Amino acid sequence: MASSDDAADRKDRLQSALWYTIGQFVDNEGAEDFNATPQFIGALTELVYTKIENSAKDLELFSKHAGRKVINADDVMLLTRRNEALEETLKRELDRMRAAEGRVEEQSKKRGRPSGAGARAGAKGKGKAKA
Amino acid sequence: MPPKAAPPARRKGPSFNPPRPVKPADSASTTKGAPKATATRPAPAKPSASRSGFQPTTTIVSSDEEQEDDFDDLPSDIDALMEDALDDEPRPQQPAALDLSTPPVPAPLLVRLLHHNFQDEGTQIQKGAMNLFESYMSIFVREAIARAKDERERAARNGRGPGSRFLQVEDLEKLAPELLLDF
Repeated sequence: MASSDDAADRKDRLQSALWYTIGQFVDNEGAEDFNATPQFIGALTELVYTKIENSAKDLELFSKHAGRKVINADDVMLLTRRNEALEETLKRELDRMRAAEGRVEEQSKKRGRPSGAGARAGAKGKGKAKA
Repeated sequence: MPPKAAPPARRKGPSFNPPRPVKPADSASTTKGAPKATATRPAPAKPSASRSGFQPTTTIVSSDEEQEDDFDDLPSDIDALMEDALDDEPRPQQPAALDLSTPPVPAPLLVRLLHHNFQDEGTQIQKGAMNLFESYMSIFVREAIARAKDERERAARNGRGPGSRFLQVEDLEKLAPELLLDF
């Protein structure tokens, strides 16, 4: 099928772009104290691509589970559910962004039990932030 | 420096007070120490974390004007607290937030990658969520590289491995399982 061909082609191009940007990043990052073989860059690209692929599916499912079609910050925070230190870091990052932004669209503090409470809150009060 | 800086700040705070509860803290910190100049915006978020029992989210969240009315009676306390918190805060921890200067994966590419992998064409992602995911991936890539570097150093110490300064695929192979479990 032409469409699957297109999709494969697009995937190739995206992977190439990712390869390039990762390569650039590694070169800039380690300009002075280390270097990386091209094979390393390729493998890292593969790893990152797979990570993004999985994360995309996760995020989509998280938001669907909450009865939404739009992924929000809560869903991203759920990605970090297995790593407390990472969660802490990202939460700080989120707070910083929101402080810079000067406002919140939705409150992402309560994460504990996203399945029940989150789904209902997401379905009902999507538009409005906490009053 | 921090212990010395604190007392004058406390005295300075009230004098700036009347105009705004939040501004005085900012201006005071900028005049006091040059290194803090860059951190004026993040500053309000920081103290709230340390005194979370007091006023968890609202301080970060709301615009300055709205807050003013609610806390007109105790702004001097707030200033003092914020000043202290700023000085007590371990500075070296801050760069964690700043390490996003050059993201490994630029936002436009990341958006495309995400959308390419969504099963449902209609799925969308909020701007804030996108920024957060960008940070997440940035941390992921940096962590991978840092661990690879660590792995390389260990290999070099054990006396094997060619070109000791070149990160190898085998380094990545060794760290990948744990990395993926951590993220």
